[in-house]
Amino acid sequence: MQPKITAKLLCTDREVGEVSRVIVDPLSKTISHLVVKSDGQESLIAVDGLIASCTEREVRLQCASSALVKTGPFRRNDFVTIDEVEIPHLERHLDVDPGEVLVPLPELEKDLSRRQFFSRFTNVIGAMLALPLIYPVIRYLIYPMYKPFTNAWINLGNLSADRQPPGVPQIYKFAKTVTEGVITRHYEKSHWVLKPTPEQLNQIYPNGNLNFKDDKGDLIWVNQKAADVVVFSGKCPHLGCAYRWRHHKRFGMVFVCPCHLSVYSATGKVLDGPAPRPLDKLPVKVLPGGELEIIDMEFEAGVKEQIRIA
Amino acid sequence: MLEAVYRWVDERIDLKGLQAKMLNEPMAGGARYAYVFGSALLFIFIMQAVTGILLMFYYAPTADHAYASTRYIIEKVDFGWFILSYHLWGSSAMVAVMVMHMSQVYLWGAYKKPREMVWLAGLGLFLIVIGFGFTGYLLPWDQRSYWATVIGIEIVGKAPIIGDFLGRFLRGGSVPGAQTLTRFFVIHIMILPAALLAMVGLHLFFFRSAGPAGPFKGTTQELKSKMEYFFPTQVWKDIVVMGLVFVIVCTLAIRFPHQMLEEASPVASGLNPEPEWYFLFLFQLLRDPALSFLFAGQWGEFLGAIALPTIFLLLLVLLPFIDRSPERHILKRPIALTSWLVVLTSIVILTIRAIMFRE
Repeated sequence: MQPKITAKLLCTDREVGEVSRVIVDPLSKTISHLVVKSDGQESLIAVDGLIASCTEREVRLQCASSALVKTGPFRRNDFVTIDEVEIPHLERHLDVDPGEVLVPLPELEKDLSRRQFFSRFTNVIGAMLALPLIYPVIRYLIYPMYKPFTNAWINLGNLSADRQPPGVPQIYKFAKTVTEGVITRHYEKSHWVLKPTPEQLNQIYPNGNLNFKDDKGDLIWVNQKAADVVVFSGKCPHLGCAYRWRHHKRFGMVFVCPCHLSVYSATGKVLDGPAPRPLDKLPVKVLPGGELEIIDMEFEAGVKEQIRIA
Repeated sequence: MLEAVYRWVDERIDLKGLQAKMLNEPMAGGARYAYVFGSALLFIFIMQAVTGILLMFYYAPTADHAYASTRYIIEKVDFGWFILSYHLWGSSAMVAVMVMHMSQVYLWGAYKKPREMVWLAGLGLFLIVIGFGFTGYLLPWDQRSYWATVIGIEIVGKAPIIGDFLGRFLRGGSVPGAQTLTRFFVIHIMILPAALLAMVGLHLFFFRSAGPAGPFKGTTQELKSKMEYFFPTQVWKDIVVMGLVFVIVCTLAIRFPHQMLEEASPVASGLNPEPEWYFLFLFQLLRDPALSFLFAGQWGEFLGAIALPTIFLLLLVLLPFIDRSPERHILKRPIALTSWLVVLTSIVILTIRAIMFRE
């Protein structure tokens, strides 16, 4: 089924023939040529920018027939149909005039309020399906995210085995067993232990004793200023890397973080680099036999204040 | 026989018409090697999907087995080292070609009206690819992956208001561990691929709808006279470049197969943690002594790690709405050209400095 739309091509002076095909430019999406039939011959005529008016019966050009550029006889094989080319939104540029090609609205959908009811109620049912899921899904996903702090004391090692002279920090590695979900893992962690000199103690605890709290804000431990030993958390307070004790060409023996090159003194003071606060002290106690115990707290990195997160 | 099957399908779904529409996309000014980047990216993505699926045959996504199973792939499984190395080099190729693609679109002025939506979907793809790189890096669970992720999540945590939640969400708690690996795994192999497929679909749909931008110079008449369809010349150029990309990635995978470090551990060691090369400039920004007056301390860290990248991304999003002049010739857009040069030079300088100033 193909309705035949035919029109005569008219110039200002005379009729040229009958339009048999329309050639569209795929880039500009305008009519570039018309194929015109006269005396049984089909020829290609360039009409880009020449069309003055267009009706069902006739296409009028704004030039004389002598000014027309005939590109010679029409060869069908030089062209493909618009179905075979991707020309997006061509229908916006080409109208079948007068009138349009239409598709009827189904009889049942002519009742607008009914149609509206369905479209709205579809959304309502969709929302009813989605809303009850939001809360369980969020709870499901955040399940491991906010666990209470663990305040257990962990053995870090024996101080009597530490041959380091006072004032020089020493790394203490210790085994940790953690259950996350159903996976229980044993791995090593490390903190730094310093047997401070009196001057160092003044730098480490400038405000006297240091209090530690649990997640409810209750006091659980106090590090006495007059202590034999200080433990620095092995986590760099800048962005959480593991820093180390080494020689620095400007500062001598210092803690250096290999990630963003923060430099700390033996007392944890920031000497250089981007760190926002001194090294974090951990709660520590020394048992009678010299056994060192700590609470393995974690503090938020990258902020000025010390905020406990685990 | 095959032809009969084709005819049978064609009769029912107009396969021939579909094929013709796919291939006969008019391109003003004709096919060019300048237009190959999008297709190259699609090819790289398909290869990442193929190698990624292959890796999952042996990889165990739990903290107690991730490291051992990755080692097993490299050391035991036939050609496992190649599949894994291809996947890793492929990810680098993805980022490299993506930067070329974005640069080309930027320099060609191809983000301008009516192609704004294509640009926006492209930026969505950019974020997804970055997400792929970040989440995939952790999966081998060696020292390199562990520390890069520790730092990466700390940086995410510095975002205002949602930062703490986001950091905990990614870690699955307040410290990185077994939950972190599982979360990164599901993001890397389910969420991001689904998002990428959807976004690639949109990107191509918008692109086909608006049409290719074509060259930035030449009269309409010239462009019209050189018009070609996507098939066959552009398809040929695309496939040549895909072949080239394949050969380069294979060569890199064979010459420089992936070397694993020790298993992830929070103990202080001699390791200098570093992110993947395409994040090095950001990494250096936060630690460069020459910039420490800007990026040291809590506020500086927020400025460098959160504010600056967000502003940059926002500028990219707003680009087609800020730059509304129809001029596309890059030499007639001095501000655009200068900003591109400044951004790229800064990235190159910071990357070089990151490599020079290792601890």
